[in-house]
Amino acid sequence: MRPVLTFAQMTVRSLLRRRTVWGISIVILLALTGIGQVPGYGVTTQGRFILDFGLFGLEIGALLLAIGLASNIYPRDRETRTITPLLAVPLSRGQYLMGRFTGAAMIQAVSMIVGCLGLMVVLIVKQHAVPADLFPATGLLVVEGWFLLAVVFFFSFWTSPPLNAPLTALLFIVSQLSVSGFVGLFPRAPGLMRTLRLLLPHMDVFHIKDPIAHGMEIPGVYFLLAIVYGLSYMAFMLALALAVFRRRDMK
Amino acid sequence: MVISLLSLMSSCRTDYDIGEVAPESFEGEACDHSHTGQAGPEDEHSEHRHSEEHEQGSDTEGLSGSEMHFHEPGQRNHGTAWFFNQPWAASFVWGKMLRDSVVLVVLALTVYLGSGYRRRRR
Repeated sequence: MRPVLTFAQMTVRSLLRRRTVWGISIVILLALTGIGQVPGYGVTTQGRFILDFGLFGLEIGALLLAIGLASNIYPRDRETRTITPLLAVPLSRGQYLMGRFTGAAMIQAVSMIVGCLGLMVVLIVKQHAVPADLFPATGLLVVEGWFLLAVVFFFSFWTSPPLNAPLTALLFIVSQLSVSGFVGLFPRAPGLMRTLRLLLPHMDVFHIKDPIAHGMEIPGVYFLLAIVYGLSYMAFMLALALAVFRRRDMK
Repeated sequence: MVISLLSLMSSCRTDYDIGEVAPESFEGEACDHSHTGQAGPEDEHSEHRHSEEHEQGSDTEGLSGSEMHFHEPGQRNHGTAWFFNQPWAASFVWGKMLRDSVVLVVLALTVYLGSGYRRRRR
């Protein structure tokens, strides 16, 4: 465990030196500020729109961050040949993957929390109530972001970075579809489409912006279930990524 | 291989769409109706109240019936079905979420151990 944590800290430092993370985080905060600047025209429920759009912006930010953080890590390590000495002695392939993933996941989580705080500030400045479930909702977006991060790592082991981004974005989009919506993409083969849909997560599990915006209470057990669900998918994707990585020849 | 494995598992063969697997008690709360602008039987409209204009047929020309009635806020009806067909509101799929989580963890362990075993044999 210790080598993984040390390598994760190294990953955090190297990622923070890149401009990508800062760029995406600034874009998220600017978007939140922009949402807060939309005039309310006296509509009493303006807070709902700010909350709804704000959480949607955070979700898109999680996708962009996952792509921006992880799509280049392995290809760059391979290009600069950093990976060869790393894997030769101190780290196994599993530890390399977990170290890189943990470092990127820490940055992703901090960015989401900063985004959530930004949304809170916008709501407070606009004199709207801050719902108590805002932090748990952001927690679910963090888990969703970690799953997307695992997906990006999985793709990065067998595709190039320019292909990684659209593949992850595509998976993100189709995972938003309901089963019937997904089958509707190719209705001639419903059995095949249903089987394929099995591999994709139900992303709507992480979406609780609608009830929060409308002031509805969400049972605590649901948050727990959704987190377990997201972490399980993340573990599955990481296992697939490791299986692909273990087959790669580094020579 | 993973897809074939999933297809063999009977518990996984049926993915869930909340609209498809919702029990009648859940769907039954919906006030599913279609207005044509004509007054229908009273029992069909017992779950919501119409505006006076709609009942009297005045000032409603150019508006379809479905635009001219009101539901109690926060309740499931034909207009809010999408809202309540989300996992947080559909507690009957929570068990399926847990089932999927267990299946995924088992699959993750299988893939992890399998790939490790293959690597050691090479």
